[in-house]
Amino acid sequence: MHILVVEDETRLREQLRDQLRHSGYVVDVAADGEEGLYFGEHYPLDLAIIDIGLPKLSGIELIRRLRSRDRHFPILILTARGNWQDKVEGLETGADDYLVKPFHFEELEARLNALLRRASGWSKPVLDCGPISLDTAKQSITVSGSAVELTAFEYRVLEYLMLHAGEVISKTELTDNIYEQDYDRDSNVLEVFIGRLRRKLDPDNTLAPIETLRGRGYRFRLQANAG
Amino acid sequence: MHSLHSRLLLTASLVLAGFLGTTGLALDKAFRVSAEAAMQDRLQSHIYALLAAADEDTDGRMTPPQQLPEPRFSKPDSGLYAVITGDGGEPLWRSASLTGREVAVTEQQSPGERRFSRIARAGMQLYTLAFGVAWEDYAGTESLYTYTVAEDTSVFEAEVDSFRSTLWRWLGGMALMLLIAQGFILRWGLRPLRRVTTDLQQIEKGHTDRLDGPYPRELAGLTSSLNSLIEHSKSVQSRYRNSLDDLAHSLKTPLAILQSSHPDGNDADADHSLVREQVQRMDEIISHQLQRAAVSGRATLAKPVAVGKVVERLVRSLDKVYRGKRPTVTLELDPSATFSGDEADLMEVLGNLLENAYKYCGSMIRVCVQMDKHSNGIEISIEDDGPGIAPQQVDSVLQRGTRMDESIPGQGIGLSMASEIITLYGGQLAFAASPLGGALLRINFGTND
Repeated sequence: MHILVVEDETRLREQLRDQLRHSGYVVDVAADGEEGLYFGEHYPLDLAIIDIGLPKLSGIELIRRLRSRDRHFPILILTARGNWQDKVEGLETGADDYLVKPFHFEELEARLNALLRRASGWSKPVLDCGPISLDTAKQSITVSGSAVELTAFEYRVLEYLMLHAGEVISKTELTDNIYEQDYDRDSNVLEVFIGRLRRKLDPDNTLAPIETLRGRGYRFRLQANAG
Repeated sequence: MHSLHSRLLLTASLVLAGFLGTTGLALDKAFRVSAEAAMQDRLQSHIYALLAAADEDTDGRMTPPQQLPEPRFSKPDSGLYAVITGDGGEPLWRSASLTGREVAVTEQQSPGERRFSRIARAGMQLYTLAFGVAWEDYAGTESLYTYTVAEDTSVFEAEVDSFRSTLWRWLGGMALMLLIAQGFILRWGLRPLRRVTTDLQQIEKGHTDRLDGPYPRELAGLTSSLNSLIEHSKSVQSRYRNSLDDLAHSLKTPLAILQSSHPDGNDADADHSLVREQVQRMDEIISHQLQRAAVSGRATLAKPVAVGKVVERLVRSLDKVYRGKRPTVTLELDPSATFSGDEADLMEVLGNLLENAYKYCGSMIRVCVQMDKHSNGIEISIEDDGPGIAPQQVDSVLQRGTRMDESIPGQGIGLSMASEIITLYGGQLAFAASPLGGALLRINFGTND
């Protein structure tokens, strides 16, 4: 999952970047509105976190420009003032949720998960595909009711595949969403993660939830459970 | 004297009364003087007529007139009398009108001299004219006589009285007309001032935000000063608010950094949670105090805010945020309901209360905005089908955030904030059980009038 953080306060920006990376997101950061607009226009983003009070281009204006250029990824606004006029203005301009500073990182992560999930068409916080159940709120996985421990990166790979269950995800797309831009594309680390995931989710090799489509990418084979 | 109108009317009336009074007195005096002169002329002509009627005896000495020129001289008590006296003052002849009266009206005058006077004798008011005459007989001896004619003043006084009453009647009529005209002039002249007053009331009620009418030149300075005063107060308010916002922003970002920083190791967990708790408390204190300071309260120079529009904007925004939950929101909004105050304050109140409704509802929310017929204010009710608020909880819910030691980390201060703003506007917040099953919050705002 590729996230853009636009925040002018250096400490907070770096802190968010580190924490989000730690949680397995791919993070780009921008320190002002213009830089944010550049990233928003030129990078394939899944979500943006935008501070309302930005230099050069205000957060509201940044959102307006992104939306007018047909960028539809979810946007979470951060506001220090926390007044409703800011919130309503932000939401009317095109933001999808807001968070008032200061916030707990857990709260931010929960909001991000909900936004990402909703953007992929899932309305519930728990993604159920056959016996595999992924709780985006708790970031936990169960297979047939028993918990499975995953690393942050493994979790992100699985979450991305499950959010797009049934779709073919190219290796490049998956890599872009798991690693930073400058990551060595030729390495086979992704294959290693997929392999580990398959073993953890399906030790007996009966479910085979993740298909490899040679030359095209991967697909999460199990369809979402109805309801 | 607190009214310009009565002040001007009083002084103008005094001036008018003084002017007309003096005019009246002068005219009265002038008429009297000229009437007296006319009287003297008349008496003089009577004397000339008497002289003309006087005869001479054979020696050429004067004998009193036999044929009197004026019949009133012959009629007793006619009011016109004549006496001719000799050199020593002895009466030589008295007119018949003096019959039965012993009135000494004479004063000796040298020839050619006259004396006009007003005398009061034996209950009579008389104007007398004494005229000295020298009569030379054929022997060349000169005899001196004094002709005195007197006329009763009653005719004269009647004339003066009639003039006087006519004069004062006219002057009084004029004064009345001038006063009425003056009243109209004042009303018309002071109308721009009254318009400024009503325009200011319009601003106070929030129907308009500046003095825009065409005012006379003399008031232009006043109205433009008032306009700049209004703008100044607005800009002071927004500057105040902005600097508070800046303060909030500059305090909250460091708090955000503190709050989301990770502990270094496991043994720091206890300290870290303490830091988090304290940061949370600091945040709530800042939010609370800043909001409180920024609330403008009953803004007398604000435009009325359409409550329905604010509710609709908030509901649209919250629908977006609570897209996952998607409660059914029923709106019953009276479009004529307006809030006399700051839109940001109203948004803060309704935003906090509506967010609670979205947060705690099961699947239904109802918002009703209507005019309150009794107080002429507005009533806003927000209800949901959530767990509701027990009566014994109400106080503690409202207290949260205002008393630091009761603040619970992770809990918002929205409700107490909203309640405080409502109180600052002189409104009321009441809790009840909703027929939907959850809480019903009813807000009443009075009017500015």
